[in-house]
Amino acid sequence: MMKQLIPTSLLIAVLTLAPLDAAVRPPRMEYSIATLPNGLTVVLSEDHSTPIVHAELWYHVGSKDERPGRTGFAHLFEHMMFKGSKNVDPEEHASMIASIGGQSNAYTNDDSTVFWETVPSQYLPLMLWMEADRMATLRIDDATFKSEREIVKEERRLRVDNQPFGRLSEILYDNFYTVGPYKHTTIGSMKDLDAASVADVREFHNMYYVPGNATLAIVGDFDSAQAMEFVTKYFGRIPKSTGKIPRDYAQEPPGTKERRVTTTENWPLPAVVVAYPITYDGHPDSYALHIASKILSDGESSRIFKSLVYDTGIAVSAFGGGNIIEQPNLFFAVALVQRGHTPAEAEKALIAEFDKLRAEPVAEKELQRAKNQFFRDYIVDRETIRGKASQLAHAVVIHNDVKTADDEVEIFTDLKISDVQRVSKTYFTPENRLVLHILPRSGATR
Amino acid sequence: MKARRIMAASLVTLLAGLAAVGSAQQAPNWPSENPPRPLQSRPVNFPPYEIRALANGMQVIVVMHHEQPEISMRLLVRAGSAYDPPGKTGLARLAASLLNQGTSTRSAGEIADTIDSIGGAMETGAGSDFTQGSALVMKDSFSIGMELLADIARRPVFAPEEITRQKQQAVSSLQVSLEDPDYIAGAVLQRLIYGSHPYGLPDSGTPETIAKISRADLQEFHRKYFAPNNAVLAVVGDVEVAEAMAAAQKAFGDWPKQTVQPPQLPEPPRPARRIIVIDKPDSVQTAVRIGQLGVPRKTPDYMELDEAIRILGGEGSNRLFRVLRSERSLTYSASADMNTMLLAGDFVAETDTRSEATAEVVRLIVDEFVRLQRERTGDSELAGAQAYMTGSFPLTIETPGAIARQVLNVIMYDLPLDELRTYRQRANSVTPDAISRVARTYLQPDRLSIVMVGNAAAFKDQLQKSGFGKYELIPLEQLDLTAPELKRR
Repeated sequence: MMKQLIPTSLLIAVLTLAPLDAAVRPPRMEYSIATLPNGLTVVLSEDHSTPIVHAELWYHVGSKDERPGRTGFAHLFEHMMFKGSKNVDPEEHASMIASIGGQSNAYTNDDSTVFWETVPSQYLPLMLWMEADRMATLRIDDATFKSEREIVKEERRLRVDNQPFGRLSEILYDNFYTVGPYKHTTIGSMKDLDAASVADVREFHNMYYVPGNATLAIVGDFDSAQAMEFVTKYFGRIPKSTGKIPRDYAQEPPGTKERRVTTTENWPLPAVVVAYPITYDGHPDSYALHIASKILSDGESSRIFKSLVYDTGIAVSAFGGGNIIEQPNLFFAVALVQRGHTPAEAEKALIAEFDKLRAEPVAEKELQRAKNQFFRDYIVDRETIRGKASQLAHAVVIHNDVKTADDEVEIFTDLKISDVQRVSKTYFTPENRLVLHILPRSGATR
Repeated sequence: MKARRIMAASLVTLLAGLAAVGSAQQAPNWPSENPPRPLQSRPVNFPPYEIRALANGMQVIVVMHHEQPEISMRLLVRAGSAYDPPGKTGLARLAASLLNQGTSTRSAGEIADTIDSIGGAMETGAGSDFTQGSALVMKDSFSIGMELLADIARRPVFAPEEITRQKQQAVSSLQVSLEDPDYIAGAVLQRLIYGSHPYGLPDSGTPETIAKISRADLQEFHRKYFAPNNAVLAVVGDVEVAEAMAAAQKAFGDWPKQTVQPPQLPEPPRPARRIIVIDKPDSVQTAVRIGQLGVPRKTPDYMELDEAIRILGGEGSNRLFRVLRSERSLTYSASADMNTMLLAGDFVAETDTRSEATAEVVRLIVDEFVRLQRERTGDSELAGAQAYMTGSFPLTIETPGAIARQVLNVIMYDLPLDELRTYRQRANSVTPDAISRVARTYLQPDRLSIVMVGNAAAFKDQLQKSGFGKYELIPLEQLDLTAPELKRR
């Protein structure tokens, strides 16, 4: 899905960078990639610095693939994967990993569902065997399903309903989109969770939890040839699926004029959100949008922090950035409005920052800072084998090109000031904007 | 880059033993088989580190780790919110937040600009016992990072306009925290366990105490406690020992030594049963915290207690998770922790449950404290907890930061350095009898403090029936974390 970018001429790159320190670059990763006959993609990267190994299995299905009336299902299904398979009893997956001192968990987002384990390296075969067992033979039981659904509802209460500002993204996405895969957030609604059934579980497993829709990334202390033998032994015996996975996502029509929504919530402070639709992860424009996110909101020298928090005190907290994922999503900025200031002030200050990106080129120094911050993020992520595996699997699953895990660094290096202004002009337009004011319900705060 | 909206699922559990009636079979001929055997294991030892000192008494820990081209530095000062003067709770936190907001050589903006420009990151903060500043930089910016860290630690100016700004931030953040059930429940439980000992007061202060803190208070906190002989610096990452020591000497070598006098603190009170319900009628879930006074970090029975509390609610075992989540679907997460500080510590169980289930959950948790004390722990259950502790050892030394944290822990709490090397052997040597002994010695299930933050109307009647009828009900708007009765007058 990666488009070929036109490389900036070396001469220009050198001229632009000359007055500033050249950044330390993330070292390239060494890895190999293979596909089993049943379609499972496997990425291996040896790292012998500590005797541990990490595996993560990405299924290319997330909350954007849920059908109408079943919001939250991808995540609920993720929980069901811990409820046993042919050779592993319910809850035993996690307890076996813990009994060898390992860690394991899973997460679901809009685009994918990821199961991971980190274990002492001698247990590589065990972890692969367990992951293969639940891909091939998940146990499905009505009573188990219903009790797990109650746990997911507690999770929703904990993370969303009972937290100040917990519903912010839900409110934003529901208001922004009229159609499309991202209108609802991953946790889904209580009503839809209640409507889900065991039949849905079976159907979802058959459709999406198949080798051809999965990518296995293994990083750590192992021998690649030996690891590949275990992968083939345990995953190779899963039949290839003949089903076709639907990938047609409704797209939001372009905006014609600014939309404004005011609503209330039981929150201690007003929140203001300004949002614009943007492109997908891997689109040539996406890199300059990442840079815009950094310039607006990474660190105390970033524009939004300075303007809304430090200089004016309009906001207790203010941040913004692109949610750059598989299908076109949003770039948005949020301000939690400080006492003594108004939502109108916050809105004006946030919009001014977007308008400034359109009207004026960013400073060379700001661009270089943003690039340096990107390189830092790559490097810090790669401290752990989990971070490395996650970067590799993301490149395969979302970009469909493992090389992007390293090559994006070059793309960032080559980005120019004019790229940032160009994408700002393209996306941050008034007719595409949504302005959302979420006010405390009582009108006054405690 | 990835989206960060993620949902974590199941943590560690024990067997629930439910029978399956169906399956999603993609592989109809899948064999019935036992798990594969492990491969040959590799020996693993605590990685090398160096502990040195500058002439002015500042200890320096160096951990070399050359995998990624980054270096992080962390300076810990032996003074935290436990030293906050009466009525000025929140002082250490506020002082920490101001360290990087202007020094005698750089303004707040210049500090932010410098660290961001080099693609670094800087943080400051204060806990109960220590205040810290840290800087993460890429290898080529090591000297700038060290110089910045020294500048904010040694020369903060606490400019009046920055104090005003940080106070406003602190008060506004508290306003948000005071609507967060988990924050409230934790803060109230601390008060119940520690009484008026500084460990019982909220680190972040209250709007009233923050208002009382003056510039002179901040300067005094810094002047009294920020000294090289009262600080430890950890340098970890892509660096050599000589290089790290030279940089530390250049940035901190001329920092003069001084006498440091820690304040005298009272003893925490003995445990006493007190049950508080904080009424927050808009809640859809109740935050439950149950605990009692424990032990300081430096305690001969530390390992035995650590394992006992892990059996109650830690990784590798976790009875609370099994009882509340796996068997009854009452919660998303449940755990118990042993928190240990320099002068005291606590044992705390925590969970969040739907409002109607509150009383049942409180009963179940208290019963598990009782069971831990009355019933001998099974050999296999203890073995499970120990297998997790010893097996996970290599996972705890993966990153330079994690290695440094363990070394810092030993130094800051004045523990034998040998503990790093002997961890696994000590963990495995604890017996079920030892667990019983410490459970009898330290746990007092009839004196547990209990806090519930939620919609009281939904569970008040049930509390009576579950044997917790003697509770104090405090409407959230009347909560005052610093008042003896926890209520505004």
